[in-house]
Amino acid sequence: MPMVLLKCDSDIPERQKHIYLKGPNEDSTEFLPVANAPTIPGTLSERGCAFCGAKLVIGGVLKDTIQMIHGPLGCAYDTWHTKRYPTDNGHFNMKYVWSTDMKESHVVFGGEKRLEQSMHEAFDEMPEIKRMIVYTTCPTALIGDDVKAVARKVMKDRPDVDVFTVECPGFAGVSQSKGHHVLNIGWINEKVATLEPEITSEYTMNFIGDFNIQGDTQLLQTYWDRLGIQVIAHFTGNGTYDALRGMHRAQLNVVNCARSSGYIANELKKQYGIPRLDIDSWGFNYMAEGIRKICAFFGIEEKGEALIADEYTKWKPKLDWYKERLQGKKMAIWTGGPRLWHWTKSVEDDLGIQVVAMSSKFGHEEDFEKVIARGQEGTYYIDDGNELEFFEILDLVKPDVVFTGPRVGELIKKLHIPYVNGHGYHNGPYMGFEGFVNLARDTYNAVYNPLRHLAGVDIRDANPVALPVKIREAA
Amino acid sequence: MEDKIDDLFDYVQVRCLWQFFSRTWDRQENIDGVLGKAYELFTGKEPSLKTPADKLYYADAKSMVSDCLASFPWIKQASEAEIRQVLDGLKVRLVENVITKSTNRELTHHLY
Repeated sequence: MPMVLLKCDSDIPERQKHIYLKGPNEDSTEFLPVANAPTIPGTLSERGCAFCGAKLVIGGVLKDTIQMIHGPLGCAYDTWHTKRYPTDNGHFNMKYVWSTDMKESHVVFGGEKRLEQSMHEAFDEMPEIKRMIVYTTCPTALIGDDVKAVARKVMKDRPDVDVFTVECPGFAGVSQSKGHHVLNIGWINEKVATLEPEITSEYTMNFIGDFNIQGDTQLLQTYWDRLGIQVIAHFTGNGTYDALRGMHRAQLNVVNCARSSGYIANELKKQYGIPRLDIDSWGFNYMAEGIRKICAFFGIEEKGEALIADEYTKWKPKLDWYKERLQGKKMAIWTGGPRLWHWTKSVEDDLGIQVVAMSSKFGHEEDFEKVIARGQEGTYYIDDGNELEFFEILDLVKPDVVFTGPRVGELIKKLHIPYVNGHGYHNGPYMGFEGFVNLARDTYNAVYNPLRHLAGVDIRDANPVALPVKIREAA
Repeated sequence: MEDKIDDLFDYVQVRCLWQFFSRTWDRQENIDGVLGKAYELFTGKEPSLKTPADKLYYADAKSMVSDCLASFPWIKQASEAEIRQVLDGLKVRLVENVITKSTNRELTHHLY
């Protein structure tokens, strides 16, 4: 089947290049949605900005680093505590937010002094913290504040601190994806190999592209501990600034989120010869495969098999309980990009769920190659979907549950369709064996929740009946 | 023969992330490396594990070989020459699908 022009897109026919319905025996060489392209005027995009991609997704995860946002207060507040990435040191990153609080006078006369003052103030207020990332935002980039020069001056004044700068204003690139890229490349060029890590095991790796959403990193770390593998750096779940400076010493880079973090893995391969192994960390089958590959690399296959056997014994019966009840349910996945291809086959194989529509906010064409290869025929594959398209697709595919973020999730709930937070999770972690049981449980609770039907009852009616019919006007 | 290539191609498309790395040269390296190790494993040879890249391709190939042996009974009956032929055919198909015919516009960008 060709690319799809939805009815709601009749006035913006360019959207046809971004929506694909997979037909029998088709592959991505024939039809590949255009992706990582500018949002088309006239479509209300769900995308975030490039600054958000750098700060909210990657940098802000670190547990020992001040995140100084050089811009108006809203840029800081809106990228703070909206992501659920806890840490094992009391969630430092989620407790505090820092901003230079730029006002009109700073925009007119320049904000460098304001930034310098704010950096000193933050270090003074938190004397135990010695690491900082400074981000530019739209206004400070537009007025040309030299944040690198300010960072150098502060580091000269305070020899015990280290500062990394990310010059990635919101208007850079077409989506948050640009922010991932800028932070990745900046870090490898400026910070990797500036500190030697302590090596404590003969097996060392970096775990790249996992952000400890509701404890993902900490759960997987229990596996690596049991296998005796030292993770030199987590990029960046529950991670530290200095650990990331030692990434050049790992024997292997294991990549989960290839979209947000593939760049640094590629550069570590190019510059330091460290091989890149991509795995899927969501799903029983995938997680077992990932562990087997890592163990095969290090020659510790027996340990890996013992770990997998233990985890299967503990968690597989629970997974199967949910699988029996979720078999044949239909799911839509509307998230950032990689979770489309990470999840479509794992929910199908491990839970018997059919994924009927997938939309990516910031995925690239590489992500669509992966998901079209893995996804089913008769499924919609959408790049940068907008709200009207979501409504129309919902009518076409009628999912039992939608995995998406809170913004779209609120729309979904008004249609009385259950939604599970596909970004920050409902009750995670979702990675690993235990995590996938959590995902199954949240899916089950969403699909079978009786309250959503009650929400459709008009209590003014003397003889109320549940209204499962989706009413678009209600949204 | 085409049916056997289809079996492996369909498996790789669905299961293997190494075919979809960022650039053409990464994809080509992975296809050559993993299928090279897969041939050694399918034919009972001892794979060389001298370099980090050797170990990486071995790790990916080992999963592929194990899954394919479980799913496709014809592999156990195949001769070395037949395995060679199937893997060569698979390589052609993969190169065509993820490199030469791919419309991914980032594949040839010289920077990551």
